[in-house]
Amino acid sequence: MVYCTYKEIRMYRDTHISSVSHDHFELNRFHDELMRHVVELAISRTAEKLGPTPCPFSFFVMGSAGRMEQAIWSDQDNGIIFQNKNIETKTYFIQLGQEITNGLFEVGYTYCDGGVMASNDQWCKSLSEWEEQISEWIEESSWETIRNLLILIDGRHLYGENQFITNVKKAAYRSIHQEHLLARMLDNTMLLKKGVGLLGQFLTETHGPHSTLLNIKERALYPYVNALRLLAVKEKIEETSSLARIQKLPAEVMNSHEREVYEKQFLQLLYYRITYGDHSNYESGHYLVVSRLSRQEKKEMKSIIRNGPHLYQFVRKLIERDV
Amino acid sequence: MDTAYLLNSLWVLISAVLVILMIGGFILLETGSTRMKNAGHIAGKTILTFSISSIVFWAAGYGLIFGKGNALIGFTDFLYSGYDIAGVKLSGSVFFLFQLAFAGISLTVAFGGFAERAKLVSYLVFSVLFSVFVYPPIAHWIWGGGWLSKLGEQDFAGSTVVHLTGAMGALAATILLKPRIGKFNKDGSANNLEGHNQVFTALSVLLLWVGWFGFNAGSTLSVDGAFFGYVALNTNLAAAAGTVASLIISWMALGKVDVPMMLNGALAGLVAITASCAYVDTWAAVVIGFIAGILVFYSIRFFESKGIDDPIFALSVHGAAGVWGTLSTGFFATKKLAAIGKPGLFYGGGLEQLGVQTIGVLACAVYAFIVSYIFLSIMKHFLNGLRVTEEEEIIGLDMSEHGSYGYPELLKNERKFQVK
Repeated sequence: MVYCTYKEIRMYRDTHISSVSHDHFELNRFHDELMRHVVELAISRTAEKLGPTPCPFSFFVMGSAGRMEQAIWSDQDNGIIFQNKNIETKTYFIQLGQEITNGLFEVGYTYCDGGVMASNDQWCKSLSEWEEQISEWIEESSWETIRNLLILIDGRHLYGENQFITNVKKAAYRSIHQEHLLARMLDNTMLLKKGVGLLGQFLTETHGPHSTLLNIKERALYPYVNALRLLAVKEKIEETSSLARIQKLPAEVMNSHEREVYEKQFLQLLYYRITYGDHSNYESGHYLVVSRLSRQEKKEMKSIIRNGPHLYQFVRKLIERDV
Repeated sequence: MDTAYLLNSLWVLISAVLVILMIGGFILLETGSTRMKNAGHIAGKTILTFSISSIVFWAAGYGLIFGKGNALIGFTDFLYSGYDIAGVKLSGSVFFLFQLAFAGISLTVAFGGFAERAKLVSYLVFSVLFSVFVYPPIAHWIWGGGWLSKLGEQDFAGSTVVHLTGAMGALAATILLKPRIGKFNKDGSANNLEGHNQVFTALSVLLLWVGWFGFNAGSTLSVDGAFFGYVALNTNLAAAAGTVASLIISWMALGKVDVPMMLNGALAGLVAITASCAYVDTWAAVVIGFIAGILVFYSIRFFESKGIDDPIFALSVHGAAGVWGTLSTGFFATKKLAAIGKPGLFYGGGLEQLGVQTIGVLACAVYAFIVSYIFLSIMKHFLNGLRVTEEEEIIGLDMSEHGSYGYPELLKNERKFQVK
């Protein structure tokens, strides 16, 4: 089906979201579908104004979309890679990027605070420019450029030429290994927030509009997501979803029993988020209404939260051994 | 001239100076714990209200506390002129100045409940009323030969007289003023209106901590036997224990070492040991301070959960810890040290002293709250509200009450942004 306005896509979203919002995988397939519709519409709108796309390109998504871990509401993290490097194509794709990000916004994906969007020159580049940028990021290896690399690693092809992002990421992996940057990348994601206190209580928000709720994103999911991303770089795994990253880990890094445990626990976290999250808007979607969990569920949730830092320590040791 | 008289006078004058320096501690505490736009106002009004309190104490407060009278109030010695005072083994002027400083501290504590929204005129009028009708009767009951002193109430340096009394004034004020804009959400959840300078707050605690040696050790009013050293030691131990306790409890309950909470713990330890510093063993001082540090953490959460906005945490630091400190002698006062009243429960005194302490706490808290509440209600009526307008509160009291910002370069641009 071809949509003529973003509003129509939004309406499609609003009428169908509840039917997919109980299953993590269906929900993320649905997000992909919505985003593709937006990109298609944006392409035709841009073509009306500026003519057809001047060369092959790839629109890719990062962040939770890249990892196929979006909640009911999600923000944008995306970029464009195009083939030919010249000023006209660049102008064209930035315009396209703007059209896409505006469209995504209308459909319900809030803008990225950090500007990680295809409308931003830094995230909309030709293949050769992308490779240069990655070399620069790695050469500079500042807190910010390493953060950018970490974001890029979750990049996943969504529309267009599917090899482009893979090639860019491969180049990034190569340089990261050559320059031994894994330890720096580990330090960049080191700040973990505790989710369970010494007395075995959930460390819920004490102030602000989400008081008494648990920030599941920062306190529960992040340790898993960050640790598995580093493992993926270390083992040169191309998959972006945390679950696939666990599955692809070689047996000599982690035995199958442990892989199963972590996989199951991460899936449970996603289940709890989708089931007990406060899904009234994007911001609140990161918060879990812990009072709605049963006793058994609370117990399980706490053990999962406690296990996140274990996985993280495991990765730390693995990386430090190699340095 | 008698050496003891001279030394006593010198020691107590030093102590009075230390206590007056605590006003500086409160300036840093209050400004550090509040927002930039109110900093100049808060710092300035603290000097102003101490000045008003000083004059009122000279004219009336001292006579109401220490003048000859009945069990409830004194009636003589108004407009004190510097003569020596019967029964006091030091210069009358020094004793007077020391007492004046205490009255000023109690008033400053009460103003913690006014912070960031009360009109300047509310401060001016309440300074006078509190210094005549709230503080002096309570000080008379416990220190001026009033009915609680006859019962043997133990409040060495004023956990009740100074701190609890001030905190009750703050409670009445914060209830009548209502929470600051933005403190609570519609669903009743609280926002954290963070103070603008933790360095100020930490420095304030150190300044208060040192000042407290004057507050507590100076309350010996004498160098006899150098007992002030022991009182100072207990004071330090309780402050340290309060700091550590609140650090531990915030780590356990919140999963992080919260700096403002740790600082509140230090102050709570100091407030709690104020009543008991001369009556208890050193180990008990540690226990009293430690419990105060934990108590202050839960007390802050309690008031916030009740929708009461306590910007400087005066209700918890001076109120809850003041109550605990006063009751603590009922448990820990030793036979040897209980110069007033009886030993506590753990030293064979049974429940008697604890009962006396409880009566003291209840009577003083209820009196201070009700009288403050009544006066503030009357003021609210006649002053056309105690609080500045919403617009004034948003641009800040520096601008609304004084016409210039404490941090002019930083705030002028922001103001243009806010009032547009």
